[in-house]
Amino acid sequence: MSENIIETNGLTRNYGDICALKPLDLQVPEGEWLSVMGHSGSGKSTLMNLVGGLDRPSAGSLRVGGKDLLALTEDGLARFRRESVGIIFQQHHMVPYLTAVENVMMAQYFHSVPDEAEARSALERVGLGHRLKNRPGELSGGEQQRVCIARAIINSPKLLLGDEPTGNLDHKSTIMVMELLKELRAEERFTVIMVTHNQEVAAWGDRTIYLDDGVLVREERTAG
Amino acid sequence: MLFRILKNSFLKRPKAIFLIFLSIAMGSAVATAFLGIAGEISHKMALELRSYGANILIEPSAAEGGGFLREEDLPKIKTVFWKYNITGFTPYLFGIAEFSAGGRKERGVVSGTWFTKQLEVPGEEFSIQGIKGIAPWWEVQGRWPEDADEAIIGASLAKRLNISSGSDVTTIVRGGNQKFRIVGVVTTGGYEEEQLFAPLVTVQSLLQQQGKVSRVQVSALTVPMDDFGKKDPTTMTKDEYEKWYCTAYVTSVAKNVEEVMAGSRAKPIWQIASAEGALLKKLNSVMLLLTVLALGASATAVSTSLMASMAERSPEIALMKAIGADRFQISSIFIGETLIISLAGGVSGYLLGGQLAELISRTVFNSTIASPLWLFPTAIISAFVVAIAGSIVPLRRALLIEPVTVLKG
Repeated sequence: MSENIIETNGLTRNYGDICALKPLDLQVPEGEWLSVMGHSGSGKSTLMNLVGGLDRPSAGSLRVGGKDLLALTEDGLARFRRESVGIIFQQHHMVPYLTAVENVMMAQYFHSVPDEAEARSALERVGLGHRLKNRPGELSGGEQQRVCIARAIINSPKLLLGDEPTGNLDHKSTIMVMELLKELRAEERFTVIMVTHNQEVAAWGDRTIYLDDGVLVREERTAG
Repeated sequence: MLFRILKNSFLKRPKAIFLIFLSIAMGSAVATAFLGIAGEISHKMALELRSYGANILIEPSAAEGGGFLREEDLPKIKTVFWKYNITGFTPYLFGIAEFSAGGRKERGVVSGTWFTKQLEVPGEEFSIQGIKGIAPWWEVQGRWPEDADEAIIGASLAKRLNISSGSDVTTIVRGGNQKFRIVGVVTTGGYEEEQLFAPLVTVQSLLQQQGKVSRVQVSALTVPMDDFGKKDPTTMTKDEYEKWYCTAYVTSVAKNVEEVMAGSRAKPIWQIASAEGALLKKLNSVMLLLTVLALGASATAVSTSLMASMAERSPEIALMKAIGADRFQISSIFIGETLIISLAGGVSGYLLGGQLAELISRTVFNSTIASPLWLFPTAIISAFVVAIAGSIVPLRRALLIEPVTVLKG
């Protein structure tokens, strides 16, 4: 049986008087693809931000990859993010004045040493070998998201987090991105946590949990 | 990679970069110009102040009986270590005399002095010494004496004798007399108005004190006195004494002169030296204050430009943090950008500041100025200081950016 890469116990996040995430106990085994579903404001992005070390919980415990994230300093969390986590955002955020390959190399630079050949190879893996020197403004939404995927996997993370990564894509691009993620996960063996409110996208995962008003209300295993 | 990030950032944001560059270059230029002319202004002001009178007085030392100094020692004043700082000197030989003119008789002082003495010292530059050079504020109605029997007379003494230019005065001293043709009446506002000034050699002969002088007034360019300059040199260590001796304090220049004049005691005329020192010190303080204000204004402009730039770039910063950049890495990108701009701003500031200093020097002092080499590193350092000072607040803001808030879909 796989060890848990994520373990939360009473994980809570309050923003002033608003409780975005109510005490949550969650275990995610290594290598699992977990889909997180819920309406807007249900707490799914809050959970992703906490697990990715982008935000700090108000209460409870949170261990990711054996690390107690509550014990890490600001720079410790930054190191955790660059060494253990790959993040894909809905808005496919990129640095506008850098080319596709440079955007990928930037993640390498923060991690250790940039390697252009490796960055090119990552972009070729996501089917963008012909778009290396293009800047974000010259790429389609689907292409930009594939650059973000290449950037997310370039440092071989243990955990890949997607915050509605297909939210801004058409159906064809969505299928393309999901297939790409599936292939990469099969090769790299990373754990995936995918926040979505698209049932079809959630179905690509091994398990889906449903949040409502900050509470885990249901979970189900995906057939097949 | 850092180079690529910086290069692309510069190329893609030329307006923002140019504004920051301009702020730094202007601050550096003003600082360079002010610091460049500060030394020149001090020098020019010191020269101007020299027209307010001698600042060193050489008298016979009490140990030598308080008698006379030797005229033959005077050329040695132009051979001392600080000879280039000595802008002029003149000897005096005093005697009490009775003046007789047009039937009137009055007692007063006859002073033998140099008016415009051409001084040639072997191995040294030719110079003109005398009272005309060190007391330019004297108002002479008439002209300066040129011949051995010509004299000028103080306005007060002339009034008592009821004479003017063109009159003859007989000067009577114990054992002799000398007739002088008055060629000018001098107004000084001081005790000199009770005296008659005649060529030194004539008065020496009249007083039967050939080759002797009573005192020498010296006008020297000096630096403002500070606590170290005021120390008693006899209590100094060898190193301290060397430093003191090699600094143009009025006391060290006086000591320097005293060493070549046999049997002399040289002392600063403090009311002149102190006033000069205080004025020059104030002038330097004003220049320094203006420089600091210019740099402060420049840093504020840099800070404002950077704040606007940071606000525009917050998604970029948030993204960098989200993918793992720590505070040091974020800082190195933005400080790197600012330092490169400040280097360019410093070089431009140096070139611009040199032109500005030249313009000020030409307009105010009617002279050219050579930019000293130390101004280049000064310009670069002042640009760095402006850049770093202007970056502190924007960088703090950048480091406080929360990716979760900024990148929220």
